[in-house]
Amino acid sequence: MRSRLRTAATALALLAGAGLGLAPIAEPVWRAQRGREPALRLQTAAAAGQGVTLALLGGFRALVADVAWVRMYALWERRDLPAVETLLRFVTSVDPRPVYFWLNGARIVAYDFPVWRIAAAGGHDAVPAEVQQRLVREHAALGLRYLGAAMEQHPRSPDLWVEQANIQLNKLGDLDAAAASYRRAWECPRGPFFAARLHAEVLRRAGRAREALEFLRTLHPKLPPNDDAARAELVLARIRDLERELRVPPLLEYRPAR
Amino acid sequence: MNRVPFSPLRTWLIAQNTLLEAVRQRLFHFIVFLALALVLGARWLRDFNFGAPELKFLADCGFGAMTFFGAALTITATAQLFFSEIENRTALTLLAKPVWRAEFVAGKYLGTVLLAGGFCALLTGLLMAVLWVREGELMAEFPETFTAGRTVSYGMVALAGAFQWLKLAVLAAFGLLVASYAQTQLFAMASGFFVLVICHLQYLAQEAYARAGSLAGELAGRLLAGLVPNFQVFAVADSLLAEDFPGGGAVARVALYGAGYAAVALGLAIYCFRHREI
Repeated sequence: MRSRLRTAATALALLAGAGLGLAPIAEPVWRAQRGREPALRLQTAAAAGQGVTLALLGGFRALVADVAWVRMYALWERRDLPAVETLLRFVTSVDPRPVYFWLNGARIVAYDFPVWRIAAAGGHDAVPAEVQQRLVREHAALGLRYLGAAMEQHPRSPDLWVEQANIQLNKLGDLDAAAASYRRAWECPRGPFFAARLHAEVLRRAGRAREALEFLRTLHPKLPPNDDAARAELVLARIRDLERELRVPPLLEYRPAR
Repeated sequence: MNRVPFSPLRTWLIAQNTLLEAVRQRLFHFIVFLALALVLGARWLRDFNFGAPELKFLADCGFGAMTFFGAALTITATAQLFFSEIENRTALTLLAKPVWRAEFVAGKYLGTVLLAGGFCALLTGLLMAVLWVREGELMAEFPETFTAGRTVSYGMVALAGAFQWLKLAVLAAFGLLVASYAQTQLFAMASGFFVLVICHLQYLAQEAYARAGSLAGELAGRLLAGLVPNFQVFAVADSLLAEDFPGGGAVARVALYGAGYAAVALGLAIYCFRHREI
């Protein structure tokens, strides 16, 4: 018995010693890997619990996340706010790669949750307007935080910036922040043309018509004439509107090169 | 007994025999069938796919099958093939001849690693074929998305398959280390699954200990990190895009890390078996 224990103790000691020597070899690779994968950080893995463990072990990340997403929708139909919130966090912890989960998650948090809470408190007629406003702002902030986490994963996704701008515009009424977010969306690789137009439009609504005009004047020459999504003629029409609004003298009016 | 020199040929013969025995087992056929069915059937699971691009989803299912069924195969094969020799007394007959115990253990290990290698190669090949066919269909359906040609890096898929094999090789070495010391097959198999879980989650324990801020915790974390390898490192090539290639240095580091752990665990399995009464 003593001999068996001695053998086991020797083996464990040698293994630990050799392992300590081997650990630095993989350390740089591991550090880089963890930087890319939020599911590999203690905070998220511990919060998501058993499911993340299963997913990390099995490797069926996409499948586990998809099944959890279906489950989340079933709960969403029943307006089960805590369960939906937990599953949203779980899904994006297990598989943070698809932008789809982040986008729809942010929409649920920012748009659906406050409606559910107001309905649970008696509906729009029963809940005082200021309480409703507070709930809307509270959840808009949570949605923006959710999108912030998404941007850490997908810093070059224009969809996330557009979604952020939409929440800032529609839920918070923060025109300056929304204009800045639309601009960031436009500046992303493959940023949509409509984000640039919205940036100018929101600037105009925020009382920054001159900035909007300057932006559109620099934008118009860059728009591809044969791309329907670019809507170059619409941009030119808006430039003319802004010039009229700002009473730009005819000599200083924008003249397209083509 | 040790008057004859260590023979790689005898080791190879034991490995061949181990591999043959494993391939004849029904459990092997069952596991391989399930894994193949999952990789092939992943195409019909696409309806459940919301977020990930379709090809990535197929790849995830393939690698998941490789990890899950590969681990089950490696753990059961290691324990079963090792203990069958002891329980059937064939080990006694074999070791009564001029065969080193080291040759016996190394042969068993090599046989299991070859088995895992065949399994991974089969699944990787099938996964590549499934991806190739589906990508071709998508190219025909959405030519505007594939203007630059095929997007899947089949080199990355092969690299991921190779890392899966390396991970299973490390797992087999640890399984053999436990088996060389354990008294029953059940204990060896259960310990093999525990090792698998611990190796996948050791980084969490290490981080938790480090967060506690105590010197004892820090030391415990380091000790745990030394005792068992971090299996998450082997997922470094978990991508279908060539631009995500981790770099030659990272590949070499992971390979060295895995091979180092496998060699150490195998060496210790030999050490334990040499001190064991059969």
